[in-house]
Amino acid sequence: MGDVEVKALDGVTIDIIKGEFLGIMGASGSGKTTLLHLLGLLDDPTTGRIVIEGTDLCNLTDYEKTMFRLYKFGYVFQDYALVPDLTVMENVSLPAMLRKDRDDQKILDDSHDILKKIGLFDRRDHLPRELSGGQQQRVSIARAMVNKPDILFADEPCANLDSENSRMVLDLFREINEEMKQTIVMVSHEPWHQEYFHRIVKLGDGKVISDEINGHGK
Amino acid sequence: MGKRELKTAFLLALRSLQRGSRSSAILTVLIIAMCFTNMIFLPSLLNGIGQSITKQIVDYEVSDVLVDPKTGNQYVGDLDTTLDLINGMPGVERATPHFSKGATLMYHKRVLGTTIRAIKPNDEKLVSPLYTKMTAGSYLGNDDVGEIILAKPVAGDATIKEEDEFQPSLGGVRVGDSITIEYGNGYTRDYRVKGIYYTGWWEADAAAYVTWTDMEKVEGKTLDYADFITVKAKPGYSPKFVKNELLQYGVADRVQTSTDVLDKNMGKILKSYAILNMVSLFVSIVITTVVLFIVITIKTINSRKQIGVLKAIGVDREVIMHAYGFQVILLSLMGIALGVILTLLLNVYMEYNPVVTVDWSASLYITTMDLVMNSVILFAVSIVAGYVPAYQVSREDIQSGMRA
Repeated sequence: MGDVEVKALDGVTIDIIKGEFLGIMGASGSGKTTLLHLLGLLDDPTTGRIVIEGTDLCNLTDYEKTMFRLYKFGYVFQDYALVPDLTVMENVSLPAMLRKDRDDQKILDDSHDILKKIGLFDRRDHLPRELSGGQQQRVSIARAMVNKPDILFADEPCANLDSENSRMVLDLFREINEEMKQTIVMVSHEPWHQEYFHRIVKLGDGKVISDEINGHGK
Repeated sequence: MGKRELKTAFLLALRSLQRGSRSSAILTVLIIAMCFTNMIFLPSLLNGIGQSITKQIVDYEVSDVLVDPKTGNQYVGDLDTTLDLINGMPGVERATPHFSKGATLMYHKRVLGTTIRAIKPNDEKLVSPLYTKMTAGSYLGNDDVGEIILAKPVAGDATIKEEDEFQPSLGGVRVGDSITIEYGNGYTRDYRVKGIYYTGWWEADAAAYVTWTDMEKVEGKTLDYADFITVKAKPGYSPKFVKNELLQYGVADRVQTSTDVLDKNMGKILKSYAILNMVSLFVSIVITTVVLFIVITIKTINSRKQIGVLKAIGVDREVIMHAYGFQVILLSLMGIALGVILTLLLNVYMEYNPVVTVDWSASLYITTMDLVMNSVILFAVSIVAGYVPAYQVSREDIQSGMRA
C-alpha cells in the first residue's frame, strides 16, 4: 500500500470582503478547516494563490509569514489554545509584546481595553485553568483581537462549549464585527450558527457548493 | 533577535518555570546540582590527597628546600659552618639539621624497632609544625637529655591487644613512662617519655624524636654532620629563590626545592590523578549533557501543541527556541548554585571527617578556580544540551505541532 493522495480542497476560489462576518460551513471532512488554515497561513497550498491586498502570501518566506500572521491576523481555536502558564493578561498581551510598533503602555492599554470589552478585566490575573471553557474562549478572542488584526480567523470556536456559552461567544463575535468593523472568517458545522453570518460558503468534498449572502444574518 | 523578542522569550521561560511542573523543575535542578558535585568531588578528593601528601612531606620531611649529601657522601659535613652560612642568607627563615639512627625500643615486654630522629627542637619549631601536633605531654626543649617524644602509633594503645594491633607498638606508653632504647651502635639508655604526637604522616608517625645534644651522647662525639638539612623560606620568598641563593653562596651539597623532590617522588602519582580527573570530568559532562538533553526533549515534546499555537499566533520560532534556552539557562544557574552550596558543605564535612589511611589523611581540595571552571563547563554543556532539542522542535511546521 502506498500513500494515497487526497485533495482536501479542489478548485476553491473565494473572496473575503473587508468587514464581513463570513461563515465557512460543511460536513466533517469537507475541507473547511483546511481552507481556514490556508487562508490564515497556517498551512501551505500545493497549488493556487492566497492574495491579501495585492500581496501573494504564498511567495513569502517563513519569517515573513510569521510576521504577517502577527501583524495582520488573529486566531481563535476550538480548544482555546491559551498558554497555560501565563495569566489572562499575559496571554492577551503576548502577541502585542512582539510588535515593534507597540510600546509597553500601548500594550497595557490595548490589553485592558479588550479585557474590559469581553468582561474579564477582573479575571486578568487568573490562570486559564481557573476559568470556565466559555471564559477561556473569550480570552482567546481577546488575544486574537489585541493587535486589531485585519482578519480574525475562528476555527469552530464553539465546538467545546455548551449552547449558552456558544451563544455568548457568537454574540461577542457579532459585537466585534459590528462595532469595530472587524473582518471575521469562522468555520462551523452547527446549522444554528449561520444566523450570525453575513455570508456563508458551504463546502463539500473540498469544493465550494454554495456561496451566498445570508438574508437571515442579524 | 531584538530586545523585545528576548524579553518575550524570557517571560515565557520564567512563567513556565514558575507555574509549570514544580517537580520537574526541582528534579532538573537537583540533577544539575548532582552533576556539578560529581564533576568536582572526585577530582577535588584526588587533589586533596595529592595536596595533603605534598603538605605532609613538606611539613615533616623536606620543608621548602632540602640540603642533602651529594652522591658518594654519607652526610652533610661541616655542619655548623653550613648552617651558619644558610641561616645568614636573606630569604631564609631557618635551617635545621636532621640525623636518624636505627634503634630498638623496649617497654615492659614489648620490643619495637624504629628510627630515632635527632633534631634541634628550637630550630625545628621554625621549620616544621611538629611541635603543634602534641597530643599529650610537651615538645622537646633544646637541652633535654634522656627525654623523648613518641608518635602515637609507636606509643600504642593499652586497650588494644598486641595481636589485634594494625601496626606494632609499645602497647600503651604514657607521658612520664620510662622506656629503654638500644641504638644500632650498642648504646643503651632509659628515656622518660616527655610527649606524644600525631601528625597523620606515616613516616613521622613511625618515628621518635630526641634532641641533638642527646644524639651526640649516643654517637659519643660532637655531631658536626647531618643526614640532611631542611630550610624554611621567609614569607614572600620562593623556595626556588632560596635554592639559587644557596648554590650561589657556595653550599657544596645537593640543594633541591620541595618541588624538585616531589616531582621525583610524587610526579607519577600526580599524573595518574590528573588522568583520573580527566576521565571523571568527561564522564560527568557526558552524563549532564544526556540528562539535560532528555529533560528538555521531553519538555519540548510535551509542549509541541503549544509551540504550534505560539507559531500560529505569530511568535517567531527563534523566540520559542530562546524561551526553552532561557529555561535551561535558569535551571542550570539554579542547579550550579545548588551544586556549589552542596560542594562547599561537603568540603566542610570532609574537613572534620577526612579520608584517613595508615599513610596519610586527606580532605577535599577545592579552589575558587575549580568552582568557576566547573560552573562554566556545566553551564556551557547545559546550553548546548538544552538548545539542540529546542532548535529541533521550533523548526517543526505549525500543522504538525498543532496536531500533536
